[in-house]
Amino acid sequence: MDRWLLGLSTLLALVGGLSGLLQVCRGKRSRWTLAWMTSAFAVQLVFLTLRGQAREACPLADLGEILAFLAWSLTLFYLLVGPAYRISLMGVFTAPVVVVFQSLALLPGMMLADPQPVAGGNPWHETHSATSVLAYGALALAAVAGVMFLVLDHELKEHHLKSGWFRHLPPARELLTSLQRLLWIGMILLSIGVAAGLKMPRDASATPHLIAALFVWSAYLALLAVHKVRGIAGRLLSKCTVALFLLSLGVFAFV
Amino acid sequence: MELVCLGLNHQTAPVEVRERFAVPSSRLGEQARIVRETSGATEVVVISTCNRTEFFLASPEPAAVLAALEAGLLNACRADAELASHFYRHHRAEALHHLCRVVSGLDSMMLGETEVFGQVKQAYQAALESGTTSAVLNRAFQRAFAIGKKVRTVTRIQEGATSVGNVAVELAGKIFGHLEDSEVMILGAGEMSRITAQNLRSRGARSIFVTNRSFERAVELATETGGLAVKFDEWQRILERVDIVIASTGAPHFVLRREDLEAVRRARKFRPLFLIDIAVPRDIDPEVGTIDEVYLYDIDTLEQLAEEGRGRRRRQIEQCELLITREIDASTLPGI
Repeated sequence: MDRWLLGLSTLLALVGGLSGLLQVCRGKRSRWTLAWMTSAFAVQLVFLTLRGQAREACPLADLGEILAFLAWSLTLFYLLVGPAYRISLMGVFTAPVVVVFQSLALLPGMMLADPQPVAGGNPWHETHSATSVLAYGALALAAVAGVMFLVLDHELKEHHLKSGWFRHLPPARELLTSLQRLLWIGMILLSIGVAAGLKMPRDASATPHLIAALFVWSAYLALLAVHKVRGIAGRLLSKCTVALFLLSLGVFAFV
Repeated sequence: MELVCLGLNHQTAPVEVRERFAVPSSRLGEQARIVRETSGATEVVVISTCNRTEFFLASPEPAAVLAALEAGLLNACRADAELASHFYRHHRAEALHHLCRVVSGLDSMMLGETEVFGQVKQAYQAALESGTTSAVLNRAFQRAFAIGKKVRTVTRIQEGATSVGNVAVELAGKIFGHLEDSEVMILGAGEMSRITAQNLRSRGARSIFVTNRSFERAVELATETGGLAVKFDEWQRILERVDIVIASTGAPHFVLRREDLEAVRRARKFRPLFLIDIAVPRDIDPEVGTIDEVYLYDIDTLEQLAEEGRGRRRRQIEQCELLITREIDASTLPGI
């Protein structure tokens, strides 16, 4: 049942992304993407509730659940940020990332078919897992905003002002503002996650994971510090945001 | 009862003829009353903009009314009879079709412009308040406004910028969004700078700095645009704080070079900078455009973009005409 729900949510996000893409290619506003993504979010919520009930804890016990939770967190931040900033096109950029995360989660072996309650749950562990994945949702959306900025920057630099992308992308300064705010939100959540990770009882096998978390946290902190103190061009900030997010995904895939 | 129209516009009459028949917007209602009395028409609306003066009338004897109106206009303006050759006349559905073209911006000098819609509405309102409209013109104008709105929403006749100034403003909006937080520097006080700066100001640009080799000219333009004049040897200091630079000096060499901008990048905290170079020869070294946060547009690029905008609008004409014809065919109106 829960797999079907995740599949349905993936399908809704796919339809939202594709319909938005088609609208943009026709030079029109992707006005239905928000509705499709809201539906996908609702189904994600039901899926996570079912898994959470089965686990009797936050559903972050296997890689499939982590990816599904990450996709939910990304969608949540999109729904919070997108409409507030009138960033209608953000859904078209967010939907593919949600589809990729959830498709990976649906791959055989990623998610237990019969989830069992998590034994020996600890509040610090739960806080660490939940806030970290929420943080990556915000950082993923920051990366999405970064990609959007890079597309707009390219169109502006090359004087390609006729495309549907150009007409419907929000202004560059607004994109950079939302990117920075998402980075800060992600950073705050990640800090809570890392602090909770340091507090939680752990064995030696968890040390590389914690070091990787500290490494990612430090990299984001350095980026924000450079931006705040010295300033950084929008293009470089966007590239760094995308690269750091991909790097952090890579790090946690292997560590 | 028949709907008829008599008028002249930028396509049929030069400005020196149009200005003789122009009616101030404050006198449109009064003029409608005078025309109704002198021509014998039952209903009258007078439209007068910088590009046209038109009289929409409803009468059971249209030929006689048009002849009386034409004679009255030539007489009032003390004009020769040959000026009558600048007038055009439309009857029934043709008159409504013309009115729809006018409110849709298809008959405007700048194709698809939106201002004319408001001007026609204002003219109709003046006639309505003067009591010179009734069943025929009320329904014809209401229908024309509805069709005009549909044309503008269904087609792309008003999309995109069609002049260099508008392209610059549109680009500034794409880079900065609301311009309330944006500051502008004008480098060289030329006519194009003035127009572009005024466009940016009307879109809310926070402040404008004007610098020119002749400080008096800078002060003059600063006063005109509500900005601040700056000595020419101080423009590099101002570059640190502004978001948009409009360059149009008469210098035979580059005024703004890569090293000028490199020197202030740190101080600017690498914020986006929009450079508009409308000078010939160019004022800004093209090399500046390779800097990450800089968006550089020269006069050729802006003109090309404006022409593309005009072309896009021209390609929409057929669709607009088709829509107007279909809407009129589907209407049952008195006097048509």
